Amino acid sequence: MVCASDTRWIASQRFEEWLTREILLILGMVLVALIQVSLLPTPLGLTPQIMVILIVSRIIIGTTAIQPDSALSVALRWAFYGGLALDLVSATPFGSHALALLLASLVIVLITSRIHVDGFILPLLAVALSLLLYEVVLALIYTLTVASIDWLIYMQVIVLPSILITLIPTLPLFLSMRWVWSRVVKDI
Amino acid sequence: MRDYLDDQPIRLRGFQAAVTNFRRPLLLGLLLCAVALVLIVLDQWGQLGPTRGVLNQVINPVAQQFAGARNGTGGFWASIMDIPHLQAENQRLQQENSQLKADAITYERVLAENTYLRQQLAIEQEQPWQLLGAEVTVRTPDAGRRVMHIARGSNDGVQVGMAVIGQTGSEPAALVGVVEDVGPHTASVLLITDFGSRISTFVLQNSSIAMGLVQGQWQHGSRLRLEQLERGVTLQEGAVVVSAGMTGQLDLPMPLARIPENVPIGTVETISVDGHAQVAELRPYVDPDQVSYVWVILSDTR
Repeated sequence: MVCASDTRWIASQRFEEWLTREILLILGMVLVALIQVSLLPTPLGLTPQIMVILIVSRIIIGTTAIQPDSALSVALRWAFYGGLALDLVSATPFGSHALALLLASLVIVLITSRIHVDGFILPLLAVALSLLLYEVVLALIYTLTVASIDWLIYMQVIVLPSILITLIPTLPLFLSMRWVWSRVVKDI
Repeated sequence: MRDYLDDQPIRLRGFQAAVTNFRRPLLLGLLLCAVALVLIVLDQWGQLGPTRGVLNQVINPVAQQFAGARNGTGGFWASIMDIPHLQAENQRLQQENSQLKADAITYERVLAENTYLRQQLAIEQEQPWQLLGAEVTVRTPDAGRRVMHIARGSNDGVQVGMAVIGQTGSEPAALVGVVEDVGPHTASVLLITDFGSRISTFVLQNSSIAMGLVQGQWQHGSRLRLEQLERGVTLQEGAVVVSAGMTGQLDLPMPLARIPENVPIGTVETISVDGHAQVAELRPYVDPDQVSYVWVILSDTR
């Protein structure tokens, strides 16, 4: 028989576990953001958006998880924390990257929950699409808060090269994550 | 309670999830979007400035370590590309004791600092500027803005509007950007190639001086553009462009800019005619994306 104080103690233990997990997740995302902005090379003046790759990969892996709704919730928390971590090191209004990443992630969740494509094409398409959405949302926020931009040139000069550079490390990162999730986490 | 605190739902819930249903993640996503929107609004109202400053101070030391790893011995990625050499180097280093390794690391660091200080001394001997060296720690992830963070702040005497210069190869020390925002230990620098950067300049050619404006063009697929040139002046390719020291006085988007006179910017590369006016594409002396160490011009002793 479990008394009320035991229930409270168990709830408190679980809350502490949850809090620890979230804090570790936040620290991990800050580390990824710092690697992206401090360590990675900047060919053509653009950095590969590894945060976007990680989150999209987590979503794709999440759709094949044993509990997809739970895994996708985790992926969306990754997007939120990852966005905030990028906001810390960016010059845009705080929350911009979080919003952009979340909206892009939501669209990818909606698409991947309805389409099941095996092979390498899905992560590549999903990263390209999410990056397009991410950059467009960031540009919209920039337009609303700082100054208007020339959309055609913005697409040609910033978005397209950014997508191409980000696609380079997409498959190695995605395959590594899928391997970790299947062998270590055993969630798929 | 378990459902909310734990990512592993209870068995009964598991059966439901298998049949369904992405409503829970979608609702969570929308909720987080709302939180992000609130954060943006709060930041626009200036409510998050102090918190952001404190968090920046916390992560800056880590960013500096990363930047050090990137800059050290030609950069992290250059090292990865050079694996055969690294393996040989590793074998040799394994024969050395730990004290010698520590000495070698210290020596490398001192050598790099010495190089930067020699550069700084040479610049200060040539130019009437008091300089402050700073490591580039972060290049912001905003593809639409050209901003970088440096590891110096208001505690070191850096102020908003100060000019930031860099030097690569045999080119002269030249303007890289203008300090846009300052924290106690870090500052963000708006690069001259950003579209929002407009600087009053002198064009030096044939022993004559003409005034003009240099605007960043990175978002437009180029680097720098010289425009609003004085009438009656015929531009020539190769003409040298330096700062006029009047950016702060003119009605430009950077009213706080305190760029001193005669800071080299670049040379005229191509010239075109836009209506009655001449515009020119400039080749900057220093590519702001390639510098890892810069100097802030604290004062002009002229």
